[in-house]
Parts: sequence; structure tokens; C-alpha cells
Amino acid sequence: MGKIEWAMWANEQALAAGLILLTGGIVGVAGQFRGWEFASYAIAAGFFVCLLEYPRSKRAKGTSVERTGQYCFTVCVKAFGPVTRNYYVRAFLHAALCVPGGFMLATVLGCVCLGIASLIYLAAAVRGEHWEPILPRKDTRKPVAESIKSPPQNPPPRPPPEIRRKQAKDVEGAAYDNPIAVTDD
Amino acid sequence: MAVSVRSWLANEAGKHFVLMLWLAANIWLFLDTYLLYSTGQQYHYLYQMLGLGLCISRASASVLNLNCSLVLLPMCRSLLTFIRGSHTMSTRRMRRLLNKSKSFHVACGVAICIFSAVHVSAHLMNVVNFSASFSEDFPALNLARYKGEDPKLIIFTTIPGVSGVLLVLILLLMFISSSQCIRVFNYEIFWYTHNLFIIFYIILMVHMVGGALKYQTNTEAHPPGCLRSSQSLQEPQADDLDQKQRCNEDAHFLPHYPQTWLWVSGPLCLYCVERLYRYIRSSHPVTIVTVIRHPCDVVELRMLKKNFRARPGQYILLNCPGVSSFENHPFTLTACPTENKETFGIHLRIVGDWTEHFAHLLLSQPRAALEILPVVHQRRYPTLYVDGPFGSPSEEVFNYDVSLCIAGGIGVTPFACVLDALIERWKSFRLQRLYFVWVCRELQSFYWFAELLCALHEKLWKENRPDYLNVKLYVTQDSLQSMSELRYRPLAARLQVGRPRWKLLFDEIGKSNKDKRVGVFCCGPKGISRTLHRLCNSVRSSGATFEFNKESFS
Repeated sequence: MGKIEWAMWANEQALAAGLILLTGGIVGVAGQFRGWEFASYAIAAGFFVCLLEYPRSKRAKGTSVERTGQYCFTVCVKAFGPVTRNYYVRAFLHAALCVPGGFMLATVLGCVCLGIASLIYLAAAVRGEHWEPILPRKDTRKPVAESIKSPPQNPPPRPPPEIRRKQAKDVEGAAYDNPIAVTDD
Repeated sequence: MAVSVRSWLANEAGKHFVLMLWLAANIWLFLDTYLLYSTGQQYHYLYQMLGLGLCISRASASVLNLNCSLVLLPMCRSLLTFIRGSHTMSTRRMRRLLNKSKSFHVACGVAICIFSAVHVSAHLMNVVNFSASFSEDFPALNLARYKGEDPKLIIFTTIPGVSGVLLVLILLLMFISSSQCIRVFNYEIFWYTHNLFIIFYIILMVHMVGGALKYQTNTEAHPPGCLRSSQSLQEPQADDLDQKQRCNEDAHFLPHYPQTWLWVSGPLCLYCVERLYRYIRSSHPVTIVTVIRHPCDVVELRMLKKNFRARPGQYILLNCPGVSSFENHPFTLTACPTENKETFGIHLRIVGDWTEHFAHLLLSQPRAALEILPVVHQRRYPTLYVDGPFGSPSEEVFNYDVSLCIAGGIGVTPFACVLDALIERWKSFRLQRLYFVWVCRELQSFYWFAELLCALHEKLWKENRPDYLNVKLYVTQDSLQSMSELRYRPLAARLQVGRPRWKLLFDEIGKSNKDKRVGVFCCGPKGISRTLHRLCNSVRSSGATFEFNKESFS
């Protein structure tokens, strides 16, 4: 089936689930429906999931495209080290977070989406994927050759006058070997 | 850069017009249904019970019906290819609109998602109201079984409720996995989740079974709002009121028949027929005739298939069960079958794991003994299935007087097919002049089609039309290099190092072709196509109108 990266799909799903949970929670609290405490929990949980899932992971092979402005989130998520690197942890975390959302109508959709994301993260973890931060590459430019920094002090060596006169009349006969080695840098 | 009105009209007017038409249809449908439910006599009692939620949910439902039927039509690729090919049925303007079919599909999809959200919210309000305003007067209207029934119970024990929940889940799965990132990097996930659409449509058609919303059938005999004679009136004006609002009978209610199938079944059948047709057409494996290796990781493949007809610019989908049973990869044809030769060819660049594995299967043949056998040695190529050909914007190159083709790297493939067709019969097309700009990172890439370019150049020179083809090659890597072979001298003379300067190029072309419509065809990275699009729309002193067409990937 080729090298599918389940983690990328799980990340998109979890981010969307976080947003849906957040929206559902806001609606639940604003309408003061029955069980609005679950809605307020959903706001907090949704916000947390969005923060955790916003920075995209670096792909194992190929170019990675990061989300706009994700650098500061990357730094925060990276700071937690192995807890956020491991996808098993994320799978179980999302599974645990989604459960209280199922008790209120406004947040049930976010709960199901987060549950699906948790399952996909489990699949990614089983396949051995893990989260890698996308950090800006420090471009190491090719070391500039020494000869470029210091321009030549002397003009190139010219042949003696007799040969120069010959050059004007007979080009082939005026060929000579350059006494100083000229390197092609 | 200021925008030129004529160019803008040529490039943007068509698609904006279609967009406006579609928006107008949606708005009209929404308002019409909203007014029907808020002012219609047959919905009077239902409206009293449910309020605004009824109107909004039904209005968004009719918009959803429209969009669910429209969303399938741009994906009937064989039908669109047929429309593109039949010049009697379509004008150039219509064919250019077909280039935007995928954008239209995305627009309908986004509309479906937005209006689903509206529809779901409104129905949630309805469910709460069904429960809270349980009607004792008209028990037939109720969906809840008793007053104050838990709304969650109502949702999960009725067909519309359960089907609605499933629909939302499938829609969310489809929507989330069709983001740009997943389409580019993990196309299979996008493809398999998107194929859940068939389950979506089946559930959609049974969504309204069960009749949650009912309308009143006897509005003449029982005008809504009339009072029963048994009820006592407060005011002593009973005699006047009796005449206007006499109830002859009780209100009768009937549920609506499901209407979605009327909207959706046509396009769904069309799409299923199209998929079946494509499956049957691609069920015969092709014969691989030649495999040629080119520099810079490009492999040319020549194939033979019975009854395969293609036009220059079209693309095919390859499926190789030896690599992966379910993956289909698109490749533009670089050589179409003609009367003289029946083979067709593609150039594929080895970039991802599928192409790597496929090229490995093609190129690594077991080395037989080196003696020359009297019988042709059968090479064991993998079985290959070809689906297509499908139309693309580059087919229009021949339908302009002047065309400008700009290719980036392996994006030259549609134009290579165009050049191939020109070599055979350049006189039979409307095209009078072709500007060909090819930008590559490495010099070696030009060798993919150097022979073809030089052959065409020489043929046109011999037939006294040296101005027909204008080639400009650009190599963007910094090192100074040139093509040293004698037979590629025409190309070496037209090779420049560095990026092309588009504005100068456009000015030059505009001045040489005043008052003409120049077709600009771009097949390359997004940066180039954005710049070119802007340049096509901008003001120019020379007076040529540039019509922008671009090939899009995925």
C-alpha cells in the first residue's frame, strides 16, 4: 500500500476534533443547556488538543510543510520530550479526553472525532512512527575557496617581448607553456 | 501592476459568472424554502411548535439537496473529456470553464459542509422544541413520545436521527482527509475516505424515511388558527369570528415523502455508470513495447493498446498490480497514437516510492545469455492497466492563433505531445505561432526531448516557416554549461542560464502579436503559475490579450 503516514492524517483529524469540541463547548455553555459543565470541560479540552496538535510533525522521508506560525508551538511541544514524541501516549490521551464529551449533545460530535483520531494515532504508533519537530535548517553555505577572498596581486605572467611579437603574426607558433601553474578553482 | 479589463474579462469573467449563478441558485433555494415554511398555511401548527429552527433546517436541507447533486457532476471525467473533444458541442470559452471543474467540486463540497452544520444546529433546536413544546392539541405532529423527553433519546431512536449522525460522521471524515497536506503527501488516505461517498448517498436517501416533519393536508376545511366550536371564547364576538374561522374538521397531518432521491439519483447514476465504463475500458492490460532510460531519473515507456485514441495534452492513469493493486497514478501522454504509429508513450520521473518500484520492475530485466537468438527474446514486463485518456487544459494549444507554452522540469510532457503532433501535421491546425519556454534545473533534463525539438525546428526551417516555433530554454543552476553535441546546436543557441524574466517575455510576445489572443499554457510549479497568472491579467501597452490556462496536479 506504499508508505502511508498515518500520523499526518491523525494530526489533521485531531486538530479538527479539537476545534469541533471547542465550538460545541462554547455552544453548550452559551445556551446553558442541561449538563453545561461538560461543555465547559469541552472548551478546555478542545483548546488543549488544538495547542498540542497544531505543530505538524516532520515527515520521515520527503519535504515537510509546516503550518503558519507553528514555530512557537513546536518549541513548546518539543519541550515535553518523550511524552509528546510518542504516539501511544497521544492515542491514550485523546481517548481519555474524549470520554466526558460524550455526555452532552453539543459536544458528542467532538468526542467521536477525537476518538477516531485516537484510533488513527494508535495505528501510527503501532507502525513505529513518532513526532519530530520541524526546526528551521541552518543553511551551511559551501565554504568559499580561499582564492576568491584575496584577489590576485599581480597580473598574469606575460611572455617575453619576442614571443609577444610572434603572437601577432603566427598564433600557433606563439603557443608557450605557462611557467606558473594556473589552477581551475 | 494594474489590471487590464479586457484581460481580466478573458481570464476571470467566465468562472466568476458561473460562481455567481451557483450562489444565486443557492440563495434563491434557501429563501424560497424558508418562506414556504414560515408563511405556508400547511406548516402553521408545526411552525408554532418548532419556530425558527423548522425554517432554517428545511431551507438548508434544500440547499444541501442541490449541492449533493451538483458535487458529483464535475467528477465525471470521461463525460467532461467527451465534451471537451466535441467541438460542435462546446466553444473555447466553455472548454476553458471545464478546466475549473475541480474547483467547482470543492466549492460544492464546502457548501455541503457549511450547510450541514447549519442544518444540524437547526435540527438540534427542533429536537429540543419537539420535546419542550409537546403538543396536546395535535398529537400527530409530535416526534417526542411525551413532554420533556430527553432530546438525545429522540435522536438515537428515530431513523432521521441515527442516519443524520452517521451522515455527519462520514462527511467529517471525508472533509478532514481532503486537506491539501494529505492530498499531496498521502493521496491514498484521501482517495479511500472519499470513496465513502457511496455510503453517504445511500444513507442520505433514507434520511427522511420515518417522516419527522408533517404538513397539514386539509387547510381549506380547517384553516390554521381556527378555533374549535367546543372551546369557549373570551370576547363576546363569537358570531363574527365563527364565519371566518369555522373549523369543519380536525387538522390532518401527513409526513413528507423523501425527496432527496429526486435530486441525487440522476447524478449518482451518471457517476456510477462513468466509473463502470472506466473500469471496463481499463480491464485489458496494455502491451509494453519499449522502455528507455533518460538522464535525471526519467524513464520513457511506450505501450500498445487496442482501440486507444488520444489527443495531444491528455493524460492517463496507470495501475500496476505488481507494485500496488489499488493505486492509480496520472501521467501525461508524451506521444499519441497516430495513423503511422500505433504506440503511445509516457515519460515518468522517479520521485516517490511507487515510481521507484515501477521503474525497478521495468528496468531490471534478467540478463539473458549474450548470444543473439533467432527468436525475439521475450522480456517479462509487469502487467499494466491504463485508464483514460482524460482531457486537460493543454489540449487547447492548437485552438489559438498564437500560443505560449511554459514548462517547468518534467511539466514539459503535455507540450512534448503537442510538438510530436506538430511534426506530423503542423499545417492542419489553427495555430500559427508557438512560443515554447522550458525551464529546468539541470542541463541534462533537456536531453529528454532534444531530438524532438531539433527535428521539429529543422522540419519547419525546411518548409520555410522558421518563425512558427520559438524555443527558449533556461537552465537555473548556476554553473556555466552548454550542450556540446553538434546536432543539438539549435538548442544550444537558444539556451540561457538563469531564471526567465517573464515581464520582458510577455512584452516581446505582445508587441509581435498585437491585437491577438495569445493562449498561455503553464505546467510547472505554483510560483511560476501564480506569476504568470498575474502577468496575464495586467495592463500591457502592446495590446495582445493573454488567456491563462494551467495544468493542475492533484
